[in-house]
Amino acid sequence: MTDTDDPDCPQPEAIVQLRSLGKRYGSFNALADCSLDIQPGDVFGLLGPNGAGKTTLIRLVMGFLQRTSGSVSVCGYDPQRDSVAVHRQVAYLPGDARLPRHLRGDGVLRFFADIHPLGDLSRSREIAEALELDTRRFVGLMSTGMRQKLALAVVLAPVTPLLILDEPTANLDPSVRATVLELVQQAARAGRTIMLSSHVMSEIEETCNRVCFLRRGKLVRELEMADLFQRHRIWADLPSDERCDVSTITDQIPVELRENVVVTAVDARPSTNVRAIRIDTAGDLAPMLEWIGSLGLQRMRIEPLGLRAIYDSVHRDTLPDPRSLPIADSRADVAPNPSGVTA
Amino acid sequence: MDRVLINSYLKQATFLFWPLAAALFAFAWVRVWVVSLLDMGQFQTILEQFRDFEKFAPVSFDTLFTYQGRVGMTYDEPMVILCTVIWCLSRGSDVVSGELGRGTMEMVLSQPISRAQLLWSHAVVAVGGLAALCLMVWAGIGVGITTTTIEETIPAPSVQIPIFGWQMPLPMGEPQTEAFALSERVDASMFASATFNLFAFGFFLLGLSTLLSSLDRYRWRTIGLVMAIYVLQLVMFGLGKAAESLSWLKSMSFFNCYRPQQLTELAMKPAQLSPWSLRAAMPDSMFPPLVYPGLLIVMGIVCYLAAVYLFQRRDLPAPL
Repeated sequence: MTDTDDPDCPQPEAIVQLRSLGKRYGSFNALADCSLDIQPGDVFGLLGPNGAGKTTLIRLVMGFLQRTSGSVSVCGYDPQRDSVAVHRQVAYLPGDARLPRHLRGDGVLRFFADIHPLGDLSRSREIAEALELDTRRFVGLMSTGMRQKLALAVVLAPVTPLLILDEPTANLDPSVRATVLELVQQAARAGRTIMLSSHVMSEIEETCNRVCFLRRGKLVRELEMADLFQRHRIWADLPSDERCDVSTITDQIPVELRENVVVTAVDARPSTNVRAIRIDTAGDLAPMLEWIGSLGLQRMRIEPLGLRAIYDSVHRDTLPDPRSLPIADSRADVAPNPSGVTA
Repeated sequence: MDRVLINSYLKQATFLFWPLAAALFAFAWVRVWVVSLLDMGQFQTILEQFRDFEKFAPVSFDTLFTYQGRVGMTYDEPMVILCTVIWCLSRGSDVVSGELGRGTMEMVLSQPISRAQLLWSHAVVAVGGLAALCLMVWAGIGVGITTTTIEETIPAPSVQIPIFGWQMPLPMGEPQTEAFALSERVDASMFASATFNLFAFGFFLLGLSTLLSSLDRYRWRTIGLVMAIYVLQLVMFGLGKAAESLSWLKSMSFFNCYRPQQLTELAMKPAQLSPWSLRAAMPDSMFPPLVYPGLLIVMGIVCYLAAVYLFQRRDLPAPL
């Protein structure tokens, strides 16, 4: 079950539709039972650590890999049966874009502008200029970052309905990274659908309206960014009263808020014997504040639930209490944690 | 096929094609000229010493005592074979495993072109280049024939001395020589079938290396595999010729289908059998002359079709 599933809401025809998609290499499951819809106009983020299956998923969508199970539809076409029709609708930037080394930058732009029916050499050159790329140089003599810029100029030029970018800002310096994100946002504003894979949370937060999380070849979570921005996490110590515990607090949740609140016990610090809890909220925080105030909690800390927190909750079973961490660690929000109990 | 891809492959192939074309043209020309340097009489005397090894020669020594036969040997020269193999191996191995090795396949195939289109576009350039290289050999021979003059010793009239059976030349002075254009004795058009055979040989190698390339992701491994097959087949062919008991090995080697000198020999005697015939078997052979290059062409086509089939169904690995 995903956060965006709503059977009552009529969905427009998805531009990318995956159903129980799987890819197996011998006994290794690179991707298993992956179902996903990407709607026209979406900027869809793919998140997951290395080896989670992001690139496998993208390569299945592009038809580069033969699926083991399930189905894929891109703009109504099956990439395995009709890859040409799919590629007419898609501009794709691979994770490690390599270009013909014997050509100059401008030769590469010309080649790809000629070969794609929607290719546009002048736009490619404009993008290359915006990325401050010297296209007179041979590809073989370009740095990794320059080659990435060249690949971006190739991929961002044709105005295809779907744009798939596998880690587009890898190897780029911060200023160019911002330019690339601006180009992606321009494409989104122009109504193009974008599928974006990245390790950089801030990029996904900045550009995407929907994200999914992959873990060990499985799609474990999917959510709308608008929902994410309405989520908060509250860390607090329970009152010293022995009778007050997680189950008591859970029982006190007002009926109208029950759907949107989860209370979790955090391991007590042995030195102080203080019992801590974590409250995860979804939706508007304002109506919850009165109830939270009535609990008599101490040392309370409220934080907006960023993508990083969701990512950690997906990829780690439990989370550390940031109030018990040194400041630097608390900011990084990455330390390993003993187990907690979910109410 | 895709016009843009063909143009791109043409540009890539140019760097290899022109040196090979120049080498083949110049070599064929020089090879014909070299024929003029060695007096036919002396050549015959030398070759007669090696009659015991005649079975290793592609044609009978008697054929080699003609200018046509000696010029026809060009097609069996290591230089010609080497240049052809270099072209076929480098172009054939490049198409899939070469592109995958360089990591450029992903960007190319993300464009609206099918894998079959990519392979056929590559094949057009590779096969066209091979045909052009074979024509270069023929052209070199043709130019050599046109420009070379032969100086030949006229056998002096002699008498036989009775009882002893000795031949005594009548004039006792210096032997007389006569100069004539090689084109008077050799017709370049006689090498058409040999040129076609060279093309068929290369076409099979192109198909084989394309097939192995379509299965692999490392070009060095493709080249290694093709070379291993090549050497194995050559050894089988050599053993089949050397030992009667192993003659069956010869018929299992694709080198058995490469018979340019035998085809030239047939062209020299069209009254017996045309080298383009599909009806009567060649002398000392199982099949008609055109079957041999035809087999190579058919095997090459099968390799190409298998390559397309397998390439369309394989996973494309991500660049390393």
